[in-house]
Amino acid sequence: MSTKHSKAAEKFLQDRTMAAWHNETLWMVRAKRDKMSREVPEWEELREKACQLKLYSNTHLAELLTEFEKNAAANGAVVHWAKDAEEYCGIIYDLLKSHHVARFVKSKSMLSEECGLDPFLAGKGIDVVETDLGERILQLMHLPPSHVVMPAIHIKREQVGRLFEEKMGAEKGNYDPTYLTHVARKNLRNIFLNADAAMTGANFAVASTGDIVVCTNEGNADMGTSCTPLHIAAFGIEKIVPDLNALGVFTRLLARSGTGQPVTSYTSHYRAPREGGEFHIIIVDNGRSKMLADPDHVKTLNCIRCGACMNTCPVYRRSGGYSYTYFIPGPIGINLGMAHDPERYADNVSACSLCLSCSNVCPVKVDLGEQIYKWRQKLKEIGKDNPEKRYLSAGMKALMDHPVLFNAALKAAPLVNAMPGFLKYNRLNAWGEGRDLPKFARESFNEMWKKHKIQGKEDRK
Amino acid sequence: MSSRETILEHIRRNTSQKYEYPAWEIQATDYADKISRFCDAVRLSGGEAVVLQETESLDDLVRRRFPEARHIASQMEGLACATTRPDELAAAQELDHTDVAVVEGQFGVAENGAVWIPQNVRHKVLYFIAEALVIVIDRESVVSHMHEAYRRLAGQDYAFGVFISGPSKTADIEQALVMGAHGARNCLVVLR
Ligand code: SF4
Repeated sequence: MSTKHSKAAEKFLQDRTMAAWHNETLWMVRAKRDKMSREVPEWEELREKACQLKLYSNTHLAELLTEFEKNAAANGAVVHWAKDAEEYCGIIYDLLKSHHVARFVKSKSMLSEECGLDPFLAGKGIDVVETDLGERILQLMHLPPSHVVMPAIHIKREQVGRLFEEKMGAEKGNYDPTYLTHVARKNLRNIFLNADAAMTGANFAVASTGDIVVCTNEGNADMGTSCTPLHIAAFGIEKIVPDLNALGVFTRLLARSGTGQPVTSYTSHYRAPREGGEFHIIIVDNGRSKMLADPDHVKTLNCIRCGACMNTCPVYRRSGGYSYTYFIPGPIGINLGMAHDPERYADNVSACSLCLSCSNVCPVKVDLGEQIYKWRQKLKEIGKDNPEKRYLSAGMKALMDHPVLFNAALKAAPLVNAMPGFLKYNRLNAWGEGRDLPKFARESFNEMWKKHKIQGKEDRK
Repeated sequence: MSSRETILEHIRRNTSQKYEYPAWEIQATDYADKISRFCDAVRLSGGEAVVLQETESLDDLVRRRFPEARHIASQMEGLACATTRPDELAAAQELDHTDVAVVEGQFGVAENGAVWIPQNVRHKVLYFIAEALVIVIDRESVVSHMHEAYRRLAGQDYAFGVFISGPSKTADIEQALVMGAHGARNCLVVLR
């Protein structure tokens, strides 16, 4: 029995060149992150503080959100609350309708992806333009993002070139990334100048000041919000931070962890509406308050969506974002999917080797791998475990608990080497599928030890 | 019950263990030579930082660095080369086609080359719309890191503010780094 993930991964791996490129490129980003973190001697202190700040914030949400609301209102913003995706979409639609918005520009927001905003608005006849370059490419290709920070990481320059030829009048056959980026710049500049309203997400919402903080490299959030009379910003409740001092910690970690830069090009603080304009802020729950109740998984709410756990994950790098059934892929996506709807997203928990690299790079110390392990233990409860693997695991346990059996099995193991493939890799052996069985040594470690073939430290002199 | 009440009620009901505010301070790295570290960091972010020499005025510098610029927008005093006073424009859109914008920043951050700009012009689009952005700061203003930076923001009153570190950039096409995605293609920080 293969999971949806392993089937999709198989498809991803068919294009070997692309798959290798994907793996290596993300590993390069991970290496950049390592270099950045090593240049900051207080790196581990920062991670610890960030984790504690998030734990504080997420266990004082009622206080912090109402403090934020009060301060934002005093700054001249209008604060709305949305308990779910439907209400979130509804509030935005009502705002756009009452302001007669025909052209709407958006900067990247995973929340809008989560709530299905673009398709909802398209259904209502509102033209939404994504303005982050990667998101725009995907929007024109009618594809979802495959990474939270590098949404179009799975798209090749030739595809972008052909797309821009068709949609933006780019010259034929010019696939140079600089050229293509500047074609998009020109095309989107025009759209910015003529937009009626702009939307952003939020990387952070500051309770003590009412600031909405957005971090981008492209400057698209700022181009949009600087030209239009209406700015709508929406954030999930876990984006709240207590004060500006907390931002000192998070802004030092975010880009270093995600893309290996010391900081993003723009860290924008939106506080009051533009002269003569309006600023609306939507605070969204959509299942987050429910996650507070689960002590095993509450830490997923720490996530600042830096993407580092994806870049480092050996499974993500080699299977791509589309192999996961939740819209956020990689280690954090596995956990968020399970937190939202375990029955629906249970397939993803197999997409983990439990190497725990994710837990080690996460800037806010989400215990990603450990949580995935916990979810696997709960699969039987939710009726989503794989019965064959369960029997195999039970057999394993019997062997481990009984040394005599274990040793006998080890002795017999080399026989497997000589077994024909169809016996090793058949539909009954769920582990053989997608895995090469190890070659069993002719002699076990124990036997070699007994025959003095392996020397201890003392004997070596 | 309103959605606001429902959400707050769910939060209260589902929050069990409460964690303390971590009041302890990070032992952050301070730089002995903040200015040179700042200049290096700006370069790393794809921009450039120069110290204004006694022999040259800001006006001279802008002319020298951007000899071909036709539209220079600035609200700063004594910048004779400025062709547009942005605050006199009614609409932000009129600033499109600006070649160079010259603006004042409040302080720089040595660890990452960012400059804090609390909105000090009528149209904040000025910070993003020009092909090249020149940010002027006092050389004494550079702080070591973001902790110090945010301490400086405490109690500040701004409608909008932004840390800018280098030019606008993207790597969304095959991770190839390209300057000038939507904002400035060049960013020059002048320490006076
Ligand atoms: S879980 Fe941690 S590493 Fe993964 S995206 Fe969130 S903050 Fe980054």
